[in-house]
Amino acid sequence: MTNLEKYINTFVETFKIEASETEDLEYQAIPAWDSVGHMTLIAALEETFDIMMDTEDIINFSSFEKGKEIMAKYDVEF
Amino acid sequence: MIYIDIIKKCEMASLSMRKNILHLAHQAGSNGSHVGPALSIVEIMAVLYLQTININPSNPTWELRDRFLLSKGHGALGYYVAMYEAGMISKEDLYSYEVNGGFFPGQPSKNLSLGIEYSGGSLGMGLSYGAGIAWAAKQKNEKFKVFVLMGDGELNEGSVWESVMFAKHNKLSNLTAIIDKNNMQSDGSSEDIISIDIEALWRSFGWEVSTSDGHNVKQLTEAFKQNNTDNPKVIIANTIKGKGISFMENSKDWHHNRLTDDLYQKALKELEKTGGADDGI
Amino acid sequence: MEFKRTIIRTLSILGQRGAFGYALTEIAKINDEIIALTADLCTTSGLDRFKNAYPERVVNVGIAEQNMIGIAAGMSSLGYIPFATTFANFAALRSCEQMRHFMGYMEENIKIVGFGGGFAMGMFGITHYGIEDIASIRSISNITILSPADGLETAKATIAASQFKGPVYLRLTGVMNHPIVYKEDYEFEIGKAIQLKDGCDIAIFSTGGMVHQSLQAAKQLEDQGISCKVVNVHTIKPIDKVAIYKALDTKLIVTVEEHSIIGGLGSTVAEVLSEIKEKPPQLTIGVSGEYKPAGSYEFMLEQYGLTNNHISEKILEKYREAI
Repeated sequence: MTNLEKYINTFVETFKIEASETEDLEYQAIPAWDSVGHMTLIAALEETFDIMMDTEDIINFSSFEKGKEIMAKYDVEF
Repeated sequence: MIYIDIIKKCEMASLSMRKNILHLAHQAGSNGSHVGPALSIVEIMAVLYLQTININPSNPTWELRDRFLLSKGHGALGYYVAMYEAGMISKEDLYSYEVNGGFFPGQPSKNLSLGIEYSGGSLGMGLSYGAGIAWAAKQKNEKFKVFVLMGDGELNEGSVWESVMFAKHNKLSNLTAIIDKNNMQSDGSSEDIISIDIEALWRSFGWEVSTSDGHNVKQLTEAFKQNNTDNPKVIIANTIKGKGISFMENSKDWHHNRLTDDLYQKALKELEKTGGADDGI
Repeated sequence: MEFKRTIIRTLSILGQRGAFGYALTEIAKINDEIIALTADLCTTSGLDRFKNAYPERVVNVGIAEQNMIGIAAGMSSLGYIPFATTFANFAALRSCEQMRHFMGYMEENIKIVGFGGGFAMGMFGITHYGIEDIASIRSISNITILSPADGLETAKATIAASQFKGPVYLRLTGVMNHPIVYKEDYEFEIGKAIQLKDGCDIAIFSTGGMVHQSLQAAKQLEDQGISCKVVNVHTIKPIDKVAIYKALDTKLIVTVEEHSIIGGLGSTVAEVLSEIKEKPPQLTIGVSGEYKPAGSYEFMLEQYGLTNNHISEKILEKYREAI
């Protein structure tokens, strides 16, 4: 799988949504992406990409798109 | 010489206060601040500090000063910016808001040399302190007044009503409570959490009750006029949490939050367009 | 409940408050008697998901902590298992008498969750620091006091509290992205302290968010050739006396807590040691002195010397005196 595929898949698995729903997705836009869902997503992304995120980055990870920018800080390229 | 109507002065100050609140909330960064609760008390604080209370900026501990107690300590930002407008604190002081170890934490800490009378943060206790001051002033025949600003959520605390009963029973007519009735508290709408008829309650405890549009300087000015009865007085100010910034108004998310760069710019632009305070709610 | 690695990390990122909410939601799935009460702090308590799932099982009493304890007690008399949440300082001090009356004296089966233990509430200021709560509650009979070391332990403590028959005070510390102490699932038993690291020169007893700091401090001391044992005291009351007896052969006993040095973990250990004739000296590390001006969580820990660097320095100094 490419990094992008892995990234999308993490959203799909965590929130039980379709891959097609991920692109414009934002925090709190769906019930599953509440604060608990958010931390579950972060933990899953950390596991998938073997990284550990800073608190600031966890807080600023506000959307699927924004998340990609943040992942780049941890050397995850899409 | 240009005569500036005191009403206009308070209204203009309200805009300046809102700008400062946003600036400080933004500066506070990851500490976050209680922005919504500060914005709802802006006009109340402007009227109190620029008109009503008798204080001396060059002598903050003047014995005959009126006492203002911010019982709803989380309104700190609204309080600090008013103190600045009244010349009680410097710009440097104001901008030290939420600096680690500083004198202007997120909820005020008593510091008489700065004019801060009361340590807020734990709700339901300010009116007791105010009642004690008012009682003592009466005993010593000192003519100053005591003002206590509370939130409507704060009225959930039983200890408030202990002091309400005491103040009425002891005829503390030198005591005025102000309720920032923004209909919201930490978890959301007050109506949904504990719904009470605030006006009826205070009347039943025997206080003199006035109501006012909490964002209308003229109405507030009228409400703060002299209490000529034997009873303590309460002003129920109808306000909007987060007043002045559309995405903060009536939002429980802005009880306490971080103001990011983007949101700060957005809020500032809005203020510049609308001028902040209008004719009221 | 199964605690795989990603869940453990999730609980760590959530911090103790969120971990509590997460665990309570899971417990509620299998136990209909679980009720959550809060004093206008539903969201702050990490209970939003619980509320969405079980709206009829969340009771918001408004900003009225004393009333909340009484209400919880009344509910428990009909078989409910109430978890009532508020800030640690308000729980233990504002409604201290209610805790004494309903939990101590009437022994109602209620669980009080005090979050913001220590300096977690940062810039909310001194009124929101829970630094005397353990002292206040410890002197009351019949109340079990739990103080978990990380997100996973918070979840396990919540589960244990729900199954325990009797009043419990669950004290939560730290902020989000709470350091992980337990990397994998383990056995949690109320009243049984857990030795996280063995050592023979010094025994460090710690609790809550200070456990992680103590482990770091122990590493620093190891680098100086000093062998340290670190014990996680997740149950402050009843205290695990056996764990303390096992430290009698060290040269120094240290306690570390994000709480006053009066009446908390340090005092508890000192009380146990006071009955023993031959024992090492004790160093109590915690909050002492006046109320210092408020700041961020990290700033307050620095101010009070509760970071791993400060802790290892203090221990080293005392150790050199002791030997």
